[in-house]
Amino acid sequence: MRSLSIFIYEWKHFVSSPFKIIALLLFLIASIYGLHNGADLYMQQSNEIERLNQKAKEEKETILSYFDKSEKGPKNRPWVDVTTPFWSIWYTPTYHFKKPSPTIVYNIGQAEQYGFYKKIGMYSSPYDADMAKEIANPERIQSGTLDFSFVVLFLMPLLLLVLLYNIKGSEAEQGFLPLIFVQTGSKNWWILSRTVFYTILLLFSLLGLMLYGATLTKVFEVDNAFWTIFLHLTIYLVFWVVLYFLILKYGKNIISNTLQMIGIWLLFAFIIPAVVHQWISIEKPTNLMIDLIDIKRDKTDEIYEQSNTDTDNQIFNLYPSLKQTKTAQDTIAIKEARNDSRIALINVAMKNAISKLEEDNLTKNELISKTYWLNPLTYFQNKLNHSSKTHYDDYQTYRNDIQNLVDKRIKIMVSDIWNNVKVDKTKYLEYNKTLNK
Amino acid sequence: MLQIIKNEWRFLIRSRIFLGISIAFISILLVSVFLGNYQTRKQEQTHKSAKDHVRQQWVSIDEMNPHSAAHYGTYVFKPTNLLNSLDEGVNSVTGNVLRVEGHVQNEIVHSEASQMQAISRFGKLKPSLLLQYIVPLLLIFLAFNSVSDEKQSGRLKLLVLQGAKPLQIILSKILSVWLYGMMLLTFVLSVYSILNFQSLTTDILTRTGLFFLSYTLYYFIISAITVYFSARWQNATLALTSMLGIWIIWTIFLPNILMSSAEKWHPLPSRNQFQSAMKEDRSKGLDGHNPKDKRAIALKEKVLKEYGVDSLSQLPINFDGMRMQADEEYGNSVWDKHFGNNRKILRKQKQSFQLGGIVNPFISLQNSSMGFMASDNLHHQEFLLQVENYRRFFIKTLNDKQTFGGSKTGNWRWKEDNAFFKSIPDFNYKPTQVSVILSNYLLDLALLILWSIIVIVIIYFGTKKIQIV
Repeated sequence: MRSLSIFIYEWKHFVSSPFKIIALLLFLIASIYGLHNGADLYMQQSNEIERLNQKAKEEKETILSYFDKSEKGPKNRPWVDVTTPFWSIWYTPTYHFKKPSPTIVYNIGQAEQYGFYKKIGMYSSPYDADMAKEIANPERIQSGTLDFSFVVLFLMPLLLLVLLYNIKGSEAEQGFLPLIFVQTGSKNWWILSRTVFYTILLLFSLLGLMLYGATLTKVFEVDNAFWTIFLHLTIYLVFWVVLYFLILKYGKNIISNTLQMIGIWLLFAFIIPAVVHQWISIEKPTNLMIDLIDIKRDKTDEIYEQSNTDTDNQIFNLYPSLKQTKTAQDTIAIKEARNDSRIALINVAMKNAISKLEEDNLTKNELISKTYWLNPLTYFQNKLNHSSKTHYDDYQTYRNDIQNLVDKRIKIMVSDIWNNVKVDKTKYLEYNKTLNK
Repeated sequence: MLQIIKNEWRFLIRSRIFLGISIAFISILLVSVFLGNYQTRKQEQTHKSAKDHVRQQWVSIDEMNPHSAAHYGTYVFKPTNLLNSLDEGVNSVTGNVLRVEGHVQNEIVHSEASQMQAISRFGKLKPSLLLQYIVPLLLIFLAFNSVSDEKQSGRLKLLVLQGAKPLQIILSKILSVWLYGMMLLTFVLSVYSILNFQSLTTDILTRTGLFFLSYTLYYFIISAITVYFSARWQNATLALTSMLGIWIIWTIFLPNILMSSAEKWHPLPSRNQFQSAMKEDRSKGLDGHNPKDKRAIALKEKVLKEYGVDSLSQLPINFDGMRMQADEEYGNSVWDKHFGNNRKILRKQKQSFQLGGIVNPFISLQNSSMGFMASDNLHHQEFLLQVENYRRFFIKTLNDKQTFGGSKTGNWRWKEDNAFFKSIPDFNYKPTQVSVILSNYLLDLALLILWSIIVIVIIYFGTKKIQIV
């Protein structure tokens, strides 16, 4: 019997099995629901970013109006003077966004664990409280959003189980298995062809669902992302097909096969990831950010209390060109400049503490990655997270960008204070342009 | 009936596969209890050392202006609870560090989930994971052919001929499967109790008892439906696949869909909307750091009148501290309004989700399990409230010292000594007593009981239609 005949037979078998058809329909409905959840999140984040850009524009207009009216700043803040670099940069609205990738429609990943926008100030840090995730019900976050990747990673193996569970077992129980072997010539070929039929059916379903998802966001604008995700899903499908094929090949009856299939699904979907998660938590308990707290309190006090000579040395060490400025030679002007520049020293101390914390997180991630060989679900989940730019690493890049923006802001401010720059409307617009790059 | 149950257990014990699976599963359960306990203890140590470190910093303040100390503030770390080693609930996704300072109610940050890449969608290997997801599957595997096999072998007919009623037979089958689940549950709780014997309190025991009750009811529902399907349908495979379908819909599909829907029915504001609204309301009140603020001037006039003096310098108190406290109290009303609104929305979401128990008893089980193990959002909110109450006491103590401690208005260089800072008590979390929050979970328990009754009624009437042969 050729493969085509087996395929035709299998199609007839499939269309006459209401149970299998209902399972496939449920899978399709859940997938569409998941795709819409992803698209909703994409829209929510995009709209929020749009709103914040508008807000930043309004803030900028307010400050520009002070220059037009020759005012120093808000009336209820008499100490503010926007013609000085310190206050001018203070009032330069800078938001940094983690723009959602259109591929988030397929996989929400860790997007709900982190914030996606940050207002950058001189005292900002990538671990500020406003970097926290969006306000959401923790019970919902804990149970996870039913997105497309959840349906594929967790429910597709179950759908495959429903489609394959009675292959060979049913014929064996009805007693006509030897007849089939005589007709087909090869037991393995017959089981494989039937399995391949359902694999192709699922592959077409996945492709159709992904194309539907592509109509919800502009997925094709992201280079190769669509096909990369499809490739990952195909490999994941093949992984389960191989496992189930082996069970069917060596299995004896429907019930034993079903139990083995569900057992292996439980092992990969629940037990192994849960064991790894528990192990990581024991090996590397949650960091309570003591190092950061110490910098924010004791180190900051230390910087403010240290001698002027020490402060100057540290500032000149950080920005050597300041030593040549007129302010550096002026014993009166240096006082204010020194005072405003302490932020730069606090920033350096914060970065040191952050690097320790991030090393700790990196070690955790390396430990998790080392378990991929026995933990395929976590592997594929993180692969998809990378593809949809919702992996821990993508948020790490976002945090690094924030730190760079803070560094740039402080550097410009310190340099302009020491060089005694007078800020006018043109300079303020220049700040806006430079700091928002 | 007792004889049938005894026989069932004899058959089970004789089965090598059953014994093998049971031993393997009991081992996993044992490991989960040990690891859960060990992790909780380790997290407790981390928590204690962080708490001690921050407290040490506070009590080491030599001298400081009280309001500067309010800005220096302190930090509260979310404590772990012994009960969390059974069910971790929302703890891995909520933050762990909360800054306590003047002028602002901060949000809790730095969750465990944000410190690493994704691992497990269903949480760590805690006993609750096994008891909620895996044990019901084991019960399904034990029960799906319990009656159909008897039918096929003709034993069912024999039992009826011997005088047993079909209802008795089915109930006995249900009880024997259910007892297996109870045995596993009892095993977990016994090991947990032995490991934590010295820390057991009446509250923990009551909570554990209620936890036991929820699982008992859920296991009964699962066992009864599976045995009933096995009796109603000729084919064991059909009974198994139907129950697997129900298990998937109950445990994987519906909780996710219903929780997402509850969040859509009662939407929370976005962080930006929330912060902007608070900022807007806050700007309408007194600004403690700005003496030229209109409301601050009005307060000054009022205080001068009360003390019968013409200028701040004549006041026997420090007006700066009083202005700061007035700022604080206005701020508190703003935080109460906005954080309170969020809490109300979260409560509505919870209630809507709880009603999902009408169609899915697993939701009731999950809710009550997290709730009785003090790890659901309700307990999290209770913790946040306690911290906010402490913050208000903490800042008021500092502002009152600034006001009435002996300094004069405008004297920001005035400092309090170490003894004062040492005298301010540290935050001490008081675990919520089960009696206080029990009413929140009565709906879950009632729905589990209702499900059990409905299942019994269906079996009672449905058994009459069962073909013996």
